[in-house]
Amino acid sequence: MTASLIKLNTLIYISIYLFPLVFADEEVVKLNELCNTTSSERADYEFNTDILPKQHIITYKGYFPRSTRENYVSAALRNVGISSWTLLRRDNPAKEYPSDFDVIILEDVGRQALDALKDHPAIKRVTAQRQVTRTIKYVREDDCGPGGCLYAGWRNHRVRALHSLRKPRENGGYTSRKLLRTVPRQITSVLKADLLWSLGVTGDGIKVAVFDTGLARNHPHFGRVRERTDWTGENTLDDALGHGTFVAGVIASRADCLGFAPDADLHIFRVFTDNQVSYTSWFLDAFNYAIMRKIDVLNLSIGGPDFMDHPFVDKVWELSANKVIMVSAIGNDGPLYGTLNNPADQMDVIGVGGISFDDRIAKFSSRGMTTWELPHGYGRMKPDIVTYGSGVRGSSVTGGCRSLSGTSVASPVVAGAIALLASGVPRHNLTPAAVKQALCMTAERLPGPNMFEQGHGKLDLISAYQFLRKYEPQASLSPSYIDLTECQYMWPYCTQPLYYSAQPTIANVTVINGLGVSGRVKEVTWHPHLPHGVMLSVSADYSSILWPWSGWLALSFSVLEHGADFDGVVEGHMNVTIESYDDSGEKTMKNATLTLPIRARVIPVPVRSRRLLWDQFHSLRYPGGYFPRDDLRAKHDPLDWHADHVHTNFRDMYRRLREHGFYLEVMGTPLTCVDTSLYGALLLVDPEDEYFPEEMAALKKAVDSGMSLVVFADWYNASLLRHVKFYDENTRQWWIPETGGANVPALNDLLSMYQVALGDRVFEGAFKLGGHPMYYASGTHIHSFPEHGILVTAQLTDQGHQIMSGEKQNGGTGASTQGQTVDVPILGLLQTDGETRDYTNDTMEKLPKSGRLVVYGDSSCLEGGVARNCHWLLLAALQYALVGHLPSSLKDAATPHQHRLRDVHIIPSELPQRAEGGRLHVYSRVLSPDGSGPRPVPECVPPTPVEPQPIHAPPAARTLAPRHQPTDPKSIGAPDIEGTEPAPRTWRGAGAAPSRHVGIEHASPSMTSRAMTLLAIIAIVYCLTAAWKRCGRKLRRRRLMSLAT
Amino acid sequence: MWYAALVRFIRRRLVLGIIFASSLTYCIVSFLKEGNSRNMIYQDIAFERKPFVWRTLQEHNDTNDNIKCRNSVQGKQLLVDDRGYVCQRMDVLKNGCCDLEADFTDRYSCETCSDNNCCVIYEYCVSCCLDPSKRDMLEVVLSKLSTEKNVLFRSLSDDYELCLTKCRTSSHSVLHENSYKDPIHKHCFGDEPTRARTPD
Repeated sequence: MTASLIKLNTLIYISIYLFPLVFADEEVVKLNELCNTTSSERADYEFNTDILPKQHIITYKGYFPRSTRENYVSAALRNVGISSWTLLRRDNPAKEYPSDFDVIILEDVGRQALDALKDHPAIKRVTAQRQVTRTIKYVREDDCGPGGCLYAGWRNHRVRALHSLRKPRENGGYTSRKLLRTVPRQITSVLKADLLWSLGVTGDGIKVAVFDTGLARNHPHFGRVRERTDWTGENTLDDALGHGTFVAGVIASRADCLGFAPDADLHIFRVFTDNQVSYTSWFLDAFNYAIMRKIDVLNLSIGGPDFMDHPFVDKVWELSANKVIMVSAIGNDGPLYGTLNNPADQMDVIGVGGISFDDRIAKFSSRGMTTWELPHGYGRMKPDIVTYGSGVRGSSVTGGCRSLSGTSVASPVVAGAIALLASGVPRHNLTPAAVKQALCMTAERLPGPNMFEQGHGKLDLISAYQFLRKYEPQASLSPSYIDLTECQYMWPYCTQPLYYSAQPTIANVTVINGLGVSGRVKEVTWHPHLPHGVMLSVSADYSSILWPWSGWLALSFSVLEHGADFDGVVEGHMNVTIESYDDSGEKTMKNATLTLPIRARVIPVPVRSRRLLWDQFHSLRYPGGYFPRDDLRAKHDPLDWHADHVHTNFRDMYRRLREHGFYLEVMGTPLTCVDTSLYGALLLVDPEDEYFPEEMAALKKAVDSGMSLVVFADWYNASLLRHVKFYDENTRQWWIPETGGANVPALNDLLSMYQVALGDRVFEGAFKLGGHPMYYASGTHIHSFPEHGILVTAQLTDQGHQIMSGEKQNGGTGASTQGQTVDVPILGLLQTDGETRDYTNDTMEKLPKSGRLVVYGDSSCLEGGVARNCHWLLLAALQYALVGHLPSSLKDAATPHQHRLRDVHIIPSELPQRAEGGRLHVYSRVLSPDGSGPRPVPECVPPTPVEPQPIHAPPAARTLAPRHQPTDPKSIGAPDIEGTEPAPRTWRGAGAAPSRHVGIEHASPSMTSRAMTLLAIIAIVYCLTAAWKRCGRKLRRRRLMSLAT
Repeated sequence: MWYAALVRFIRRRLVLGIIFASSLTYCIVSFLKEGNSRNMIYQDIAFERKPFVWRTLQEHNDTNDNIKCRNSVQGKQLLVDDRGYVCQRMDVLKNGCCDLEADFTDRYSCETCSDNNCCVIYEYCVSCCLDPSKRDMLEVVLSKLSTEKNVLFRSLSDDYELCLTKCRTSSHSVLHENSYKDPIHKHCFGDEPTRARTPD
């Protein structure tokens, strides 16, 4: 049901890239999360600045009292004859003191007034006053606003260019205001690594591998670079980018900006070229070498969305199985959900997210559940842990220090921390599972973010050290309890209660098995707590084998029929027995029984008109195949890889619908497996797959009996698909998208029963609808619609034509709307039987029995991270679909009937045709792989519930979260393992290099050889001078004699 | 005065010449050496290279009571030890060796392996590869690899390490970078598969 539902794909797309390091001044997003048990509100504020037209800031060249300043200004303005001005009074205690600035309000702003002010000798500059406003929306930094970036072909997206190491933008003045934060000088002292150093724990004897861009030979910060190897064939081992140097520095630098484990043995693997190119095959060979070298900790500040790169994924598993502790960065694709990167999203890998020094999740940090398991299952919790990744100081290529941000920074913080604590604990405690358990179980939970943002919480190095010292092999679950009522941590579970007849709510728990590399789940039992727990039915599905060190356990919860009217909280717990072979050779099985507390809130079944069904089954995406984004201008990230789930990129929409009291259920099976009579509407948003004929019949029946259909489609044009193909150098293949933004031909087949069809032209543009600013990002249009339906049109430009003809836009919405705009029908509303009219004033009996149909041509406006969303439109559409009431905003916008062309073809266009030779059948869940048409409809297998074993138990505590007491730094003890002698306490907390073995091992050979060379040179010089002294006398004498003669 | 005597000794022309010559040679040699190590690109800090040893059948068969075995740590259910025995994970003894008495323990087993020396299961691949009868072929493989200047294969010390490493999936196993050439028989120890690998 969950994980490992991986289809073999032959399509290739290697996309491992370095996470760009963002410079240390990312915008601060303040998360303010309020919640109660049933719904959650969450406001994401972003600071914006606007220019206030009449106000200007005058900066003086010195500090002057108020009267003097007024005199200066009046003198300056009198010269140009302006009298209508006032200086803004500030009634604060500072007003008595001289100041160096004023705010002036100029009634009629002329350039001359400003120029006159600037010309005054005492005035330094005049700048526009800005107002800081907060808007309640995420705006992705990279996203192009309307009219922003142009389509220019999808090339080179694989290689993320090094905008990573960019300098802070020079914006000369007041363009934006930044919150100043104190950035600590040493990341190591923030995590109290110096405490461990003082105990003699310095990473000694731990082999740390850094897979990155290399490292210079004699970088002054490093003492123990054991080995540098190159796997790129570029004839160099040095780092030209700074990425590898920084990462290695955070782990093991011993000068200036200190790393965590200064005495660890560094193994530098150069697997990225200077152009940031890398191949899976390089990684495979380098990984094999790492296994042979018996590396302890391996840092991968890299990643990509392709979790279907089987050779790579298998190899990472193999490394973990060989006891290599894998640490990887979760990605820099936040704040959108569903943006986790591989390999950090693998169960055996420690996936690290980034936070800033004020303990807020960094905006860039990727988040959201894993998406391997969709559509049937539900994602696992990732990242595992978060740590500082914003404005961290580390080594630069030139030998100094620099401050950088990114999950690329957070990952080596954890890798270095592991190397450090590994050197202080018994060797046999060092397994990937034990270390992961130590980090996760001792992590400090942050109060705001949910578990898909922060994982287990913030790294607590000292507690993890203490945990690992006293470690006993054990298994654990992640998350360690399931409280479906706990907001905000258990988002999204806490936002929608359970009820009878709903699609099961699935929690995907990761089993971390410290008992051995390989193990299995022996038994899962369910113990509902009486009296109410018995209403809950749980079915469990788990990996057949827990390997390497980990596995998954998917629990689906549903309410039994006798709980249909129940309103309240139910509790229970599950016991999971894990067994593993003992490594000690005793031929015994180790067993561990884990208890998983469960709590859920159950409500009575909501009315049909509040229940919506979200179609996840027909959503296909990358990395299955090449599925393009819905916005053709998003060329920097052309792949649709955010899973299109209500809890990933449609998260904002989900929240909006929940706020309006709708219950959203996710359909991970064909429509034939769902009882459609329970739902008010089916949402088909951005579907890529085809439909089973049986599904079409089921849908027809469902709509006839009252279910409505809401479709948000997207662009599709066969020749445009060929146009946006690109040649992938890795695979030496042409990449042609499998569908457009949505599979419109399939949708047309589905909608043909209502005489509705979508066209093959692609439109784009900004417009206003019902008073809301809208942006139509690469959408389709309505090709034909029944006459009695309601159509809404908008003035849009033909983007498909522009792209095909390679027209150069000047950028900016103004330019694009100046182009040939067409009146395009984009929204259609239809009563499927008979006349479409407003039923507001009618009683429910008069409302036609059959459902209604709403079709809109663009789906990207529902996604998260867009500037102008259309959630209101969805709500309006739902209002029409569910109760037949046409909101006035749409009524006004609708094209009057008399203006409608009688022709069914509303604007000249063709019906989109499926691309010839398309390979959709390779990825489809509906078409058979040999391309011969649809497969037989899969059987609907209801999950088999675990036999309940009710027990009497007192109500659980308010929170089920295990309380881990952070370790008091004073209480930790020195390591009691052999071979670690106590270190000198002299450099405790000092900024100096904490190296204990100066120049004995690595440093010594080169030092002695250099000394020998020097000695030899001195000897040569001595010999020469001695010889000159002896022979020179004779020579001089001879010369004198020759002069004399 | 020993000091004066020493100085006089050093001032001798012959001694001076010897010091001069030896220092000059040392300088030249050390400079050249440094230059050499710069040119070495794959691996700049060389580990002490152990010579490659082909262990004999006797060594494989060593039945000493206190032998210690290396084994392939990673297996899901199977492990292979350095004597060529494949066994169930639960049949591994304290010393890391497979229990010879166990039901499923098998030596030099080529189960799941096909004719081109590629196997479905890693542990059988290693076991099959350790078979002394495969030694001639492995020597060819090894000599080819050593000409490739591959840092990975240069650091191998015996036939067990060779088989462990050769059987892992590597750059030779992938087609189009993100899929296997043969997703079933992906663990190979033989010479490079002769199959053409550029289907496009």
